[in-house]
Amino acid sequence: MIGKETTAGRAAKFTFLGLWLVFALFPLYWITVTSLKDPGDIFSFPIAYWPERFSLENYQGLFGKADFGTYLVNSLVVSTVAGAVATAISTLSAYVLARFEFRSKSALLMAFLVTQMIPSFIALGPLYLLMTDLQLVDNRLGLMLVYIAVCIPFCTVMLRGFFENVPDALEEAAMIDGLSRLGALLRVLLPVMRPGIVAAFIFNFVNCWNELFLSVTLMNSDENKTVPTALNGFISSFNIDWGSMSAAAVLTILPTMVLFAFASRHIVQGLTAGAVKG
Amino acid sequence: MRRRTAALALGTAAAMVLTGCSTMSPGESGTVTLNMVESLTNPARTDLLEELIADFEKQNPKIKVKLVSPPTEQADQKLQQMLQSGSGVDVLEVRDITVGPWSNNGWLYDMKKDLTGWKGWDALTDNAVAASEDDKGRTYFVPYGFYGLSLFHRTDLIKDAGFDKPPATWEELLEQASKIHDPSSRRYGYAFRGGPNAHSNATAAIEAYVADRIDPANGYLLKDGKTIFSAPEALDAMEMYLKLFKQASPKSSVAWGYPEMVEGFSNGSTAFLLQDPEVIATVSESKSIDADQWSTAPLVAGPSGKTVQPLATAGWGVAEGSKHKAEAVKLVEFLSEGEASTRFSKGNSLVPILKAAAEDEFYRTGPWASYVTMTENPDTFLVVTQPRGVAWWTEWQQRADTDVQKMVLGKLTPKELLAGWDAYWTEKWKK
Amino acid sequence: MSGTSTPPSGVTAAPSVRKEGAPPRGGGAGGRRRREFTTRRGLVIAAFMAPAAVFVALFTYYPMIAGSQMAFRNWNLTDLTDTSWVGLKNFREVFTDPAWGTVLGNTALWVVGSIVPQLVIGFALALWLRRRFRLRGLYQALIFFPWAISGFLIGILFRWMFNSEFGVVNDLLQKAGLIDEPVAWLADPDTAMTAVLIANVWYGVTFFAIMILAALQSIPDELYEAAALDGAGKARTLFRITIPYIRVTLVLTVLLRVIWIFNFPDLIFGMTGGGPNDETHIVTTWMIKITQQGDYGKASALGLLVVAVLLVFAMFFLTATRERGGGRRGAGKGGKRGVRA
Repeated sequence: MIGKETTAGRAAKFTFLGLWLVFALFPLYWITVTSLKDPGDIFSFPIAYWPERFSLENYQGLFGKADFGTYLVNSLVVSTVAGAVATAISTLSAYVLARFEFRSKSALLMAFLVTQMIPSFIALGPLYLLMTDLQLVDNRLGLMLVYIAVCIPFCTVMLRGFFENVPDALEEAAMIDGLSRLGALLRVLLPVMRPGIVAAFIFNFVNCWNELFLSVTLMNSDENKTVPTALNGFISSFNIDWGSMSAAAVLTILPTMVLFAFASRHIVQGLTAGAVKG
Repeated sequence: MRRRTAALALGTAAAMVLTGCSTMSPGESGTVTLNMVESLTNPARTDLLEELIADFEKQNPKIKVKLVSPPTEQADQKLQQMLQSGSGVDVLEVRDITVGPWSNNGWLYDMKKDLTGWKGWDALTDNAVAASEDDKGRTYFVPYGFYGLSLFHRTDLIKDAGFDKPPATWEELLEQASKIHDPSSRRYGYAFRGGPNAHSNATAAIEAYVADRIDPANGYLLKDGKTIFSAPEALDAMEMYLKLFKQASPKSSVAWGYPEMVEGFSNGSTAFLLQDPEVIATVSESKSIDADQWSTAPLVAGPSGKTVQPLATAGWGVAEGSKHKAEAVKLVEFLSEGEASTRFSKGNSLVPILKAAAEDEFYRTGPWASYVTMTENPDTFLVVTQPRGVAWWTEWQQRADTDVQKMVLGKLTPKELLAGWDAYWTEKWKK
Repeated sequence: MSGTSTPPSGVTAAPSVRKEGAPPRGGGAGGRRRREFTTRRGLVIAAFMAPAAVFVALFTYYPMIAGSQMAFRNWNLTDLTDTSWVGLKNFREVFTDPAWGTVLGNTALWVVGSIVPQLVIGFALALWLRRRFRLRGLYQALIFFPWAISGFLIGILFRWMFNSEFGVVNDLLQKAGLIDEPVAWLADPDTAMTAVLIANVWYGVTFFAIMILAALQSIPDELYEAAALDGAGKARTLFRITIPYIRVTLVLTVLLRVIWIFNFPDLIFGMTGGGPNDETHIVTTWMIKITQQGDYGKASALGLLVVAVLLVFAMFFLTATRERGGGRRGAGKGGKRGVRA
């Protein structure tokens, strides 16, 4: 691959990359165009690939009909906090799993892996009862706690990979200089691992941002709803309001897209740091 | 530098957590907070309920009501979870199909005693009074209105196709819808129900065809005690119904449920739709069709000229786990009488529970006229009780829906379908 | 628990593997230092692991275990007056359900039909993105977008595009002359399955592309240079150098994706709801349907079966990784090590 590229090879490469780009972006383009059409034009035929009449009515309707601003804020708060806390907690556990050998280690790793296999529906009922007992139903803190638990296993395994690629001589030196283990971790290791930590946080954030079933189960009142729940409400209530729904979809996707746009370099960089090295 | 950034981030996180905490506000002394959960949620209805609740709170300054509106798709499931946990819900929306299992599980409070002497009873229609008691005389909910089918149709398309009036029978519906149907120009005859609740319209057709012989106390039985599905007329009905799909409905309607059907009509592509009155409100807001392009007609009839109106209902009830039952009953009373009830049934286009509505001009005009016609002619538009309260109703729904889908996909003949349904109900009722 | 979007652990699990083969450290270290470590070691491990363990135990394992007991009881929300223990009745009901065969077949199709195109296209993208070109960063950012969207939302997006009357897919195909009349994509079980697979491929390619790209970038250039000197062709280089080098990543990524895709009802649920005629259900969407009917006993039984099947996958996963650990890669790992007791 790294050898010389022939002209034909280049042409094939860029054709493929181009086609994929079109395929990858078209659905996003389409939902955006739909959201910007005049509500009366969405079902006009022939189908228009560009809005004949631009209209923000769908968006206005969204903020008028439902308190979409509140949902956005809720999602943002919950995802940011849960993502950050989960990253912090996972950093500690990942560090231990990377640096120490102990008897229950493989059992712990297995236990983390199993969490990924559990279909969430099996646990929703008991989780609701648990949260009722803890008085954390319909409470943003409650949702955050659950999200943190959801994020931890992966985040840990992922960060563990990064730790393993940082030579332990680094923190040993720091500890000889008198820092505690935690101090060494925070002051010496973390700065080195920044791309990996950013990547881990982004995964957590996106995970929480997109979560639907737990949020529907645990949140009741309108002022506590998150975006996916609200979006689900749009479809299931009376008609499939494709205009409002597209607008809601665009607003939902936007924050994660911005995040990805800024962080895509970090992600690859971060993952490369954790990847197999010769 | 970096440390400061980290500290800042941590601080922000902590602040956000605290904001999360602050939502747990302690109750003010002396006031009672009721949690009210709706199930057939839609944004406009939620707004209306909030307004009604505000009125209630004004009248009862010591009671606060918190409305919980889960997305419709998850609502009943969520309600079940709440009821099971025994907390978080005081007043709730109870439907004719949920009242059986939920009361059986001991989740609902029998309001019978509390409502004795309630002045609202006299104002209710006979149907409403009947629906608010189960077969053992217990009151688990007071209905807020009724859902019944009528035929939404496009007056302009009917005229263009050369007909002078909307269809009155299923056969006419088939004829007109087939004529209008033209998939190549995105014009469809009938908004077929093939997805969730597909069986409801299918049984409506069967009931219309056996209207002469049906048992008024049980819509799935004939007067001679056999099921309606065993009647030869039922086969005629299903064959007609299958044709309606093949000749006059969009192919994708094999998967259509409530939202898709309503959308199919209100986006202007489909000429006929059998739906509940609540759809009037949705269609009125349509940007694709104008008020002079559509109307409603009474539910189409079978060959005998009669039809069966399958009334469905829902209402407000109180949870057994509620710690404020007296206040909760008060709210149910408030919603079931006078101004609040009228506003709710008008706003959601429901067949009203109050007798006074018959004189209301609102129900005599426009799309509503067909409902009045139906109520005023009980000999032609029979009101028959459906066995919707049986414990196996959900199981039946799922099974019957799948069968209808199988039939339209050509994997089951109408005859096989009916034989299966007959066997199912005969078996269930034998126990 | 999650199943919606998916952090990559395939690659990250890889280093741990090589650790097995890495020379054990600490043997040569001084006895005093080691003892010091032992006294404090347990404390450090416990303190650092505790928060994660508490969260996962309380909010994931406790509800799961509490939920599993329903699998052995008569637990139907339509009638909770009798919740007696019924042994394996719920499991029998799953196996004898007429839909079971279809559901299993669909699940296999769903997993394989998603994984293979995702892997192939993702691999191709990664190979072509390895070499720098102008605007590569931008290109990368753009094709990452699908991955930021929730499965449920993707379901809606594609449902709208595959809408048979007003969907853009039919319109494009008609314009291209590939079809004469609109196809009712989601109304026919076969085309509906194709449509959900297309949507899932759209969503999942990104993940493979990122993982493989990250792994590719860690291959030292010298290896390629050596291959070029040997006169190896492209195909040969690919199969002799690239693939063997990133094999661990590939194996692990694929296996983890299997777990996630298995447990990913959101997309199908958003697009078809398992219909028409229940013919696009996979195990997890079917489970949702059963919960909606109120039969939590049967749904839990199904859930336990899912965990059991995936555990078998995990065994495969672990075995596969262990093999690699003893292989040639282990030798190159002198630089990093763990503190061993």
